[in-house]
Amino acid sequence: MHGRPRTAPKPEDAAASAAKAQKLRGLQSQFLSYHHSRIYTEEALDASAKLLEINPEYYTAWNYRKLAVEHRVGESGSSPESVKSIFDEELKVVENALRQNFKSYGAWYHRTWVLSKGHSSLDHELRLLDRFQKADPRNFHAWNYRRFVAALLGRSVEDELQYTEDLIGNNFSNYSAWHNRSMLLSEILKKKEQESSSQDVISKEYEFVLNALYTDPDDQSGWFYHLWLLDQTFKVKAPLLVSSWPVPGSDLVVSGNVSFADHPLSSFSEFTVALERFPVVLYFNQNVEGVNSSTVTIQSTFVQNEDVTWKPLSLQNSPASKVWVGYLDLSGVDHHSSAPYTVEIKLGHHQGIMSSNGLQLSIPFDLSFTVSVKPLETQSSKDEKVAWEEDKFCACETHLQVAIPCLCYDGITVDNKYEPTTSDWQIGTIAEEISQIRNLLAISDSKIGKITLARLLMAHDAMSSPYATQTVHAEEVLGLYSELMKLDPSHYQYYKDERSLVLLQQLLSSRETLLRYCFCYRGITSPSAYGPICLRLNNQSISRMGSFDKLLWVQMLDLSDNELHSIEGIEALQLLRCLNLGRNKLRSFTSLDPLRYLRSLKVLNISHNEIGLHSIDTTRYSCSASPLSHNGEIIWSDDVFPPEDADVTNYWDAFMVFKSLELTQLDIVGNAVANEKFKSFLLKILPKLQFLDGQNLHRI
Amino acid sequence: MEPPPPPPPPPSGTTVTQRDQWRVEQEVGRIYSFFAQLPPAAQSFALEVQRDNHIEYLTRGLRGLAPSFGSLDASRPWICYWIIHSLALLGEPIDAELEDSVIDFLSRCQDPSGGYGGGPGQLPHLATTYAAVNSLITLGGSRSLSSINRDKVHNFLRQMKQPSGGFRMHDGGEIDVRACYTAISVASTLNILDDELAEKVGDFILSCQTYEGGIAGEPGSEAHGGYTFCGLATMILINEADRLDLSRLIDWVVFRQGVECGFQGRVNKLVDGCYSFWQGGACALLQKLHPFGLSEGGEDESTDSIDSSLYAASNVSEQEEQENNLESASPQVDGTCQFKQGGPQSASCSINTGNASYNFLERRAEGGSLFNSSALQQYILLCSQLPEGGFRDKPGKFRDLYHTCYCLSGLTVCQYGRSKHADSPPLPWDVVGPYSNLLEPIHPLHNVVLSKYQEANEFFAG
Repeated sequence: MHGRPRTAPKPEDAAASAAKAQKLRGLQSQFLSYHHSRIYTEEALDASAKLLEINPEYYTAWNYRKLAVEHRVGESGSSPESVKSIFDEELKVVENALRQNFKSYGAWYHRTWVLSKGHSSLDHELRLLDRFQKADPRNFHAWNYRRFVAALLGRSVEDELQYTEDLIGNNFSNYSAWHNRSMLLSEILKKKEQESSSQDVISKEYEFVLNALYTDPDDQSGWFYHLWLLDQTFKVKAPLLVSSWPVPGSDLVVSGNVSFADHPLSSFSEFTVALERFPVVLYFNQNVEGVNSSTVTIQSTFVQNEDVTWKPLSLQNSPASKVWVGYLDLSGVDHHSSAPYTVEIKLGHHQGIMSSNGLQLSIPFDLSFTVSVKPLETQSSKDEKVAWEEDKFCACETHLQVAIPCLCYDGITVDNKYEPTTSDWQIGTIAEEISQIRNLLAISDSKIGKITLARLLMAHDAMSSPYATQTVHAEEVLGLYSELMKLDPSHYQYYKDERSLVLLQQLLSSRETLLRYCFCYRGITSPSAYGPICLRLNNQSISRMGSFDKLLWVQMLDLSDNELHSIEGIEALQLLRCLNLGRNKLRSFTSLDPLRYLRSLKVLNISHNEIGLHSIDTTRYSCSASPLSHNGEIIWSDDVFPPEDADVTNYWDAFMVFKSLELTQLDIVGNAVANEKFKSFLLKILPKLQFLDGQNLHRI
Repeated sequence: MEPPPPPPPPPSGTTVTQRDQWRVEQEVGRIYSFFAQLPPAAQSFALEVQRDNHIEYLTRGLRGLAPSFGSLDASRPWICYWIIHSLALLGEPIDAELEDSVIDFLSRCQDPSGGYGGGPGQLPHLATTYAAVNSLITLGGSRSLSSINRDKVHNFLRQMKQPSGGFRMHDGGEIDVRACYTAISVASTLNILDDELAEKVGDFILSCQTYEGGIAGEPGSEAHGGYTFCGLATMILINEADRLDLSRLIDWVVFRQGVECGFQGRVNKLVDGCYSFWQGGACALLQKLHPFGLSEGGEDESTDSIDSSLYAASNVSEQEEQENNLESASPQVDGTCQFKQGGPQSASCSINTGNASYNFLERRAEGGSLFNSSALQQYILLCSQLPEGGFRDKPGKFRDLYHTCYCLSGLTVCQYGRSKHADSPPLPWDVVGPYSNLLEPIHPLHNVVLSKYQEANEFFAG
């Protein structure tokens, strides 16, 4: 249908070609009449063969020939010779057809069908393939057929490997040959029982591909194969719990006021909830399914295990998620007693929590903490607003040292012995590849080499510290991405995002670095001497965020003056109450979608972004078009309907984000969307709002 | 255009593949540098969609084709679709008589037991069923739509369904991703998609996603643009797109757009205009799936990034190689490739400065596009389009109806890629060339003009 060479018609050939068309038309109607009357005579078979030689795409004729074969085999008196000759005839027809068009699905498939019947000699097949694969070494029909024939012949994997090696030697840009090599080696690796012998195989392949990479560091074929090898070296890992809220061993003090101004937020362990429920967050290193009351058990005097429902914090409306949250009901707690309640959570002792590829949680995990309730003390006035002004923040180092305990960094490792799953061989291999690629980059400016090196370095750091707390190579990686942004401007944003992720990981790599970005907020009257703790990652030119696992305790977060176009991942921060996203590059309410999951969020600043500026595609037309699609509804409050007088049709995206939030303060000035009409819409859908763009609404 | 000077000999020490690639880059580079030297009025003209000539080429095809088209005798509903859909994209109505004869012809392709064959009397086939149904939907109107026997099509789809979850193209035919897409797309547009048809299709498609990130035609094969679109669209239609490794898929597909500005279909293959739709369309689908940016779930950023996303790297080298080659051959190309779109009338070229290039890129990043839409439109208009009508794979090839259909489809995907709603007109700078280049919007999952899809959707709602 596509990609066949065409020749330009010459006028003098017109008559001949018209005659040919006439003949073809006659042949077709003759064939169809044979087919419909189920006539399988020599003459009829001849007609179909001729037709297929002219047009191998005529699949009805291939089917006819299958029927004819069955018919003739039935009649042939089952002498092996006559059966064989019937099938041999088919092979001839296919070969002729392929000569006409070797991209014909029907012809290749017919040949597969004939051979799978087992009456034909296979001797000729490899030679035939060689011919076609020489003519077009990338023909995927031929490659599929080759894999089929090799299996049928019982040809050794080594022989086939040699074939790919020959082709690669001939043209190392032939990616199909590399791809087939990966298929063959997968088979070899599957058969190896000893781990060490698989490792030998893989190590040899690294040497092999390195030759190609050195020959031309910019050719993509070898790099793709290199990638496959890395996949083999670092087999998909079992899921691992990397952090949790609360942190194991912590003693939490919960107080019950709802207003931001009323509660201290002044230390890691003190926080405020509406005294109805209390979040427990489990953060895994990859998406997992199966977190529920039978895989996670909770022991405590005030809550029944079965009453806790675990929900995935997944924007994709998927049953799998990296982050899961369960809310503990606090209504059974005596608010007037300050005696701590112990909560014990166990997971991974029974099978059930697993990744999408079926791997179970690698190590069980136990978490115990205490909760004590602090009775309400004051009822301060509600009209106090949070101003994100520089002079309101102070670095009270000694207080923060105490307020943010070491627990938030090594809580999990302390209580749960982590046994490294990476072997010396893996670490050795990755170190070897790092040094090889550094050598390669010394003589070439290969972009693909740089990005591979960047990722190898990050992987190396991750392997030596499974909880991603060490970033020995971060500086080098940041440098590589900066170079790539200059070298390959077409993918500037891609590199910038990757760089941001590394940068953020570096900023949060240890408690010491983290403390540099923590401040006490003095902007509101607070019963605490220090005021709430705010994590300030402002002005870092972050464009995208990834690592939230160390930040689950954060209640006040300043991300202003960055280049964020996405806040995906922030939904993990279930305690977040105040969030500053001012002066970023957020373009739509859809990009604020993760906020829907932040039930504690009260104060939000999205001023000076680009919402409404670009006419960007925010519809989910393609998704909702499916008759089977279930609308990606909000998991918390399915029953929120817009107020009748609100202009929901024009601001549907905004409604979707805000409808489940109970914001008391919102700054939205400096966005194209923020006109008077939109503001009056906001007032309708946010009944608890006290301040809009700094103005006190004087609501009761 | 004047005949170009003979190209310098290709660099020695390279592979056949690299030499072929180099030749295409030379050819494309010459076209872009020639374009760069044109006065503004001529540039504007060069970027114009030659509507009248395309319409004439297409209409002629609908009335009768040259005898050399005999090889398409088992794909006649495809010819109908390529032409009718292309005309619909150009907003050109088909005259009533011709429309009637198309409906009659397709009715004769409809098998008494359900589904459409490649021609009257031929076995029903999923691909031609897709082509016939899309053609009839595009013609629209109750005579056309009611000519489809939905119950029997449903029967046919059920017969093609395999226990593994996949579909056969036809009775006794091959099982692959095309079959899944055409079956599910047809079922969806005709409102007959049920759990039985959808069952385990996702498993089959998943088994075809390769380590590269794209989707192959069948398990064990290498990733391929056409199948990637088919597989992704199918997964969206059955609401299982999140089962795919989307971040790998994105990495694979976005790096298939090369410095020629068009897309290649597979790793280390040559650019081809038809992938403007297959790959560009897959990007458009991904953009709608992931309005938050490039990442899926940030899965790859956690503790071990190594096994999830080294992929983006893989084609970067091509980019560099090509840029270097092009730069040495024709210093202006870089500039033309990223010329400024100041507005519909000023398709002027800012010749190669780092700034223009960065400004342009920043604007693109702000748009959150997964591919370079303007560059792709430029490839389609300058390299694939023939001023005398029709589109082609690449310079040096002949035009044909297939490439005409998929280049135009790719063009509309680019034009509406950033529109707020699928049918709201794009901003002037999203349309390369004069604003009159604007084509009709499509439903990106079925590649049917949107208004026609909506009509059919209502018609089959009962």
